Amino acid sequence: MTQLVQAIILGLLIGGVYALMASGLTLIFGVMQIINIAQGAFLVLVAMLTWWLWQRTGIDPIVASLVTTPLMFGFGWVVYRLLISRIRGSSASMSVLLTFGFALVIEGVLNVVAGNRFRSAAPSYFEESYRVGDISLPKTQVFGFLAAVVVLGVLYFVLTRTWTGRAIRAATQNPSGAALVGVAATGTAALAFAIGSATTGVGGSILSVLYPFFPASHYDWISRLLGIVVLGGMGSLPGALVGAGILGLAETLTATYGSLGWSTLVFYVVIMVVLLIRPQGLFGAKLREDAV
Amino acid sequence: MTRLRAIPRAHLAAALVLVALLVYPVVNPWQPYPQAVMLLGFLLAIQASSWNIISGYAGYISLGHSMFLGLGSYTVGILALQWGINPLWIAPLGGVTAVVVAMLIGSVVLRTRGHAFVIITIAMLLAAQILAINSRGLTHGSDGITLELPFWSRDFQNIPFYYLFLGLLVLTVLFSAWLRRTKFGTGLVAIREDEGKAASIGVDTTRFKIVGYAASAFFIGAAGGVYSYYLTFINPVGSFTILGSVTIVLAALAGGRGTLYGPVVGAFLVQLAGEAATVYGGGTQSRVLLFGLALMLVVLFVPKGILPALQAWWLRRHPADVEYTDQAGALGRAPSTAHEPATAHVPAFAHEPAPGQDPAPAPEPAPGQGVVTVRERALERAEAAGRVAPGEVLLDVRGVSKTFGGLIAVDGAGLTVRKGSVTALIGPNGSGKTTLFNLVTGGMAADAGEIWFDGERIDAMRPWRRGHLGLGRTYQVTRLFKEMTVQENVVAPLPDSRWRTMFAGAVSGHEAARARELLDIVGLGRFAGQRAGSLSYGQQKLVELAQVLMLRPKLILLDEPAGGVNPSLLGRLTEVIRELNRGGVTFLVVEHNIPLVLELCDPVVVFSRGRPIAEGPPATIREDPVVLDAYLGDDWRPAPDDPPRDVTTREAVQ
Amino acid sequence: MTASIPGESETRAGSSHEVPRRRGRARGAVTLAVVAVLALTACGQRPSETAASDVDKPIVVGVSLPLTGDFAQPGGEAKRGYEVWRDMVNARGGILGRQVEIKITDDASNQDTVVADYTKLITQDKVDLLLGTFSSLLNYPASAVAEKNGMVFVEPAGGAPKMFERNFKYLFFAQPATAPHQADVFVDWIKSLPEADRPKTAAYPSQDDPFAQPVIESMRKQLEALGVETVYTSLYPADTTNFQTVASSIAGKKPDLIAQGAVFEDGVGLVRGLKQLNYSPKILFQTSAPSNAGQYSDGVGVANTEGVFYTVSWNEKASTPLNPDFVAAYTKAYSAAPAEDAADAFAAAQVLQAATEKVGSIDQDKIRDWLHANTVDTILGPLSWGATGEPKGRFLLAQWQSGKVEVVGPADVATTKTVVNPKPAWK
Repeated sequence: MTQLVQAIILGLLIGGVYALMASGLTLIFGVMQIINIAQGAFLVLVAMLTWWLWQRTGIDPIVASLVTTPLMFGFGWVVYRLLISRIRGSSASMSVLLTFGFALVIEGVLNVVAGNRFRSAAPSYFEESYRVGDISLPKTQVFGFLAAVVVLGVLYFVLTRTWTGRAIRAATQNPSGAALVGVAATGTAALAFAIGSATTGVGGSILSVLYPFFPASHYDWISRLLGIVVLGGMGSLPGALVGAGILGLAETLTATYGSLGWSTLVFYVVIMVVLLIRPQGLFGAKLREDAV
Repeated sequence: MTRLRAIPRAHLAAALVLVALLVYPVVNPWQPYPQAVMLLGFLLAIQASSWNIISGYAGYISLGHSMFLGLGSYTVGILALQWGINPLWIAPLGGVTAVVVAMLIGSVVLRTRGHAFVIITIAMLLAAQILAINSRGLTHGSDGITLELPFWSRDFQNIPFYYLFLGLLVLTVLFSAWLRRTKFGTGLVAIREDEGKAASIGVDTTRFKIVGYAASAFFIGAAGGVYSYYLTFINPVGSFTILGSVTIVLAALAGGRGTLYGPVVGAFLVQLAGEAATVYGGGTQSRVLLFGLALMLVVLFVPKGILPALQAWWLRRHPADVEYTDQAGALGRAPSTAHEPATAHVPAFAHEPAPGQDPAPAPEPAPGQGVVTVRERALERAEAAGRVAPGEVLLDVRGVSKTFGGLIAVDGAGLTVRKGSVTALIGPNGSGKTTLFNLVTGGMAADAGEIWFDGERIDAMRPWRRGHLGLGRTYQVTRLFKEMTVQENVVAPLPDSRWRTMFAGAVSGHEAARARELLDIVGLGRFAGQRAGSLSYGQQKLVELAQVLMLRPKLILLDEPAGGVNPSLLGRLTEVIRELNRGGVTFLVVEHNIPLVLELCDPVVVFSRGRPIAEGPPATIREDPVVLDAYLGDDWRPAPDDPPRDVTTREAVQ
Repeated sequence: MTASIPGESETRAGSSHEVPRRRGRARGAVTLAVVAVLALTACGQRPSETAASDVDKPIVVGVSLPLTGDFAQPGGEAKRGYEVWRDMVNARGGILGRQVEIKITDDASNQDTVVADYTKLITQDKVDLLLGTFSSLLNYPASAVAEKNGMVFVEPAGGAPKMFERNFKYLFFAQPATAPHQADVFVDWIKSLPEADRPKTAAYPSQDDPFAQPVIESMRKQLEALGVETVYTSLYPADTTNFQTVASSIAGKKPDLIAQGAVFEDGVGLVRGLKQLNYSPKILFQTSAPSNAGQYSDGVGVANTEGVFYTVSWNEKASTPLNPDFVAAYTKAYSAAPAEDAADAFAAAQVLQAATEKVGSIDQDKIRDWLHANTVDTILGPLSWGATGEPKGRFLLAQWQSGKVEVVGPADVATTKTVVNPKPAWK
């Protein structure tokens, strides 16, 4: 029983972090129908940056996201302007290939610059836990979860309460309508891409503490994130939250009660089952196919 | 595609290269290393060519295609161990596994349109790796499977593999070329160009995509079987590598996605460049980095691939004398067009043809005996298909509704179209006419209500099923497959769901002949070989009509057929509609050109706010005050001396 | 509406223009193909014919190593080990009076490339001798190329048991023991304890890895035979990064011994997980993770390394012949302490050197036969082989003590008599 509760709590904590990581991906997709395969590489890039900052200055990795988030915002903006905007209007598959290529470039650069070995940031508290009865809550997981919740809250606020956010949401729901009321499509897209990238600022910081990483880790992450987004319904933020929770739970529960070897597979099984039963994902109603 | 016409010469070049490759090991037998480099190039080319079927032709990008190589390797490796036989004898079984897995994945993922596919292909590659690691009983887990060494003398070590991979490559390319020349291939390209449109012309997009995915898996799987024996070792990490998939994508993309030889050329470029980097590049640079950069550069600067880019460059540098090879045939069938100076047309396509160049074969200048007979034959066929009994209800829309968020587009609409009629559907913009069309042809699903067509309830059917029943439509803004030739556009529709039809030839054979006949009917036979996107808008409308006729439709839904069409072509269009109608084809027409409606149609149904408000013969409708209100708003009252601009532009009611 | 449509067409005017141009391309392709054939043509020699070696030229040793990609880490270390060996040999006059040259190519951790590389080294570059590469993933296909071509293949890594089930005759594994026998030395130590002090219960998590898993598997069987109850086993995938679930499952069972098949990061990960749960077993054994000296102690914290056991093929302090020279040369060249992988590579080269010198030529069959019949002294200790290249020796049992590594078994090579038991609690 303790084990079950422990597994569920761990699963939810992990799910929160997954949700944050997936939010950027789903936001970008929602606004511009681009699957940013490089999102995983962005995470690893930030993790590397965070690790480096932590090594050099001893700054707390999660606090370091105050530095990395604006950096990633700018990075996302530049990437959009220089790369993504060039292929707007061509087919969606080209954006997949472009961002895939970009992910490989990031991996390659990290390989050359930082070397191909595992790293993880280890702040002082990272081996400590809060204990509630027999349940132990590792501090890193708790802090990571809290940071994720804060960022998701901010994201929610930005999207619902600010003009910019409303413009982004309008562009998501009805691009041509948004254009009519003066929402410039490109500007909004660049902004959404920048915000989507900025979420990796915190996501990557948390990653650097919670999971050892190396340049090629981005495959694991992007496939996980894509799984969450497909499960939740592509482009839907609430979908990403729920999808992340479900997959976080599924992962810890199989790891606890089944075998670790199969726990990653659960991800893919869940995705396939969802696609079979509900091809649009849990919250995919938004992804209405346009008129034929 | 213009490529099709050029195939003989391209084939010639390919054949000569093939001969050189066949001869090479004979000339130079004791060099296993260059043979190894070449055979890995063949292997990559097999994969890139196969990938091209689903991702090049059909446009569904797979980022996990190396999975099939691993599946093939494992199948053959496991069976070879179990049965104690040489892996080479059972290599095709690797292809079988690949096909089965592709069908399974495809039937889950490819039922819908859009982005899930690309994601799932990565996921499945990684899942396959996990499966291979965990199914220890079968795959020996992460230890991998070791196979015996090849039985032949070390002197010939790589030569048998060289020829095996070369043979598989030739088969792959021939297979790909054959597919592209069938209606199946045309359908795949149609899916890439406009999937919704493809579905509406009877292309069973789900089946096409699944079969396309399976077809793109077979040769990779078979090659995987041979490959396992070449390496003598199979393990999960090496077999299901994402970098392998990237290489495939890069090769096909660099060479020319969607072309026949592009992926092969690209594969050799990538393989040789990779090998050169290994031999001369020193050990410090990151291969991943180079791959990523190459992929980005290709996507940004040569998205169509090197081969097509070179071809375009060459054509710009050498503007060639025009050779209307194909049109000679068209001219023969449509003698009226023989007057046209052939060269004059190429630049003219960008605009509406000037009257003197009007490509429509006007009946007056030529006796046009040939034209008439062809047309009559087509009409007879249409008649036979329709079994027309005028007066019966053909299309019956019952209480259908559709809302978008808060907007009610179609509101419990009922509508009947009787066999043999040309029914008009008019109404102000935004009154739900086009939405109703979409509901009838299956582009959208209705929220409520029933739709019956020719005695069958169709509102739950997929669009292509409705097409097979004899329901065709054209679009307000034409939706031709612009990258395909006019003939391919017309040959693409499938009038039924038989596999025989699906694999019928699209370049020659009866389907192609029929497409040419239909093009002649609309007077565009001469343009069969042109890229559809290069035609004028009016011509495109006619091609779209010919396309619909390929379905042998009983009912054609025309969405603003006259919109944007110049007067001379409009005359041609109405003439064709009339003739087809006489031949038994029923029409439902949405049109704002009221004089045309009044002249052509009976009855006329007036739509407003998502439902019909009036129906009757043209004469009654033009007098109906309700109609006037609906069109012009409640406040407007006729003031004969002061017709608002709105009315004149639409040539409306007055 | 009309205006928006025709714009499409301007660049497309010439779709039918290209036809005659194909001829030019065809001609070009033919020329290209002919040139290619001619260029690649070289009057060759059957791969089975060996050229009479030119005795004045240096002896060329061919190696393909994963210098980039997944195995770049051990690959880079192996390169250093080989180069240290080359420099030491050349400083002493080379082999058979000839200087030694090492031809190293990068296979980018890719199987296709490693096969092409060794094929090239053997048949094109006609190297005199071969040395093996790193990771069994690459050694499996690479050793097959060597075997096909009748070249002796001394590999510094690749101890998965299946490697030696292929009945290869030219394959030699230059480490003291294969994976299933790595743990023998630890089991012997357990046996040496009084009955009452032996662990009662044990947990066996292991990475799903061809080297780690067989070690733990064979240890579990041997310990079960000794009466140690198995309370937990699990096999986790190589990409597992979160060990909280494993740690909490293990902690729930409260085993005396945790024996983990740990490659590297997973070893650190599990220790962290156990620390978060504050569960410290009496005995902690990990296969190779703790041998990554600095990185391991950085990862878990120096204080927490105290008492951790592991097995290793080589020890920096060992008094085996040439070992101090190797350590000195390596440290001088790279200003770092040598890694085990570098030592293994060095030892592999020593094996090849010894055989070549004893045989007096680079005749591959003679070298093979000599190695099958004799024992070679290396910095890892004496090595000898069975018929399929399986080594017959045993590993060292090492333990972290006060932030340093000591060899505690077997007794004859131990660097200390002290054994920390039980392990102190986490700091």
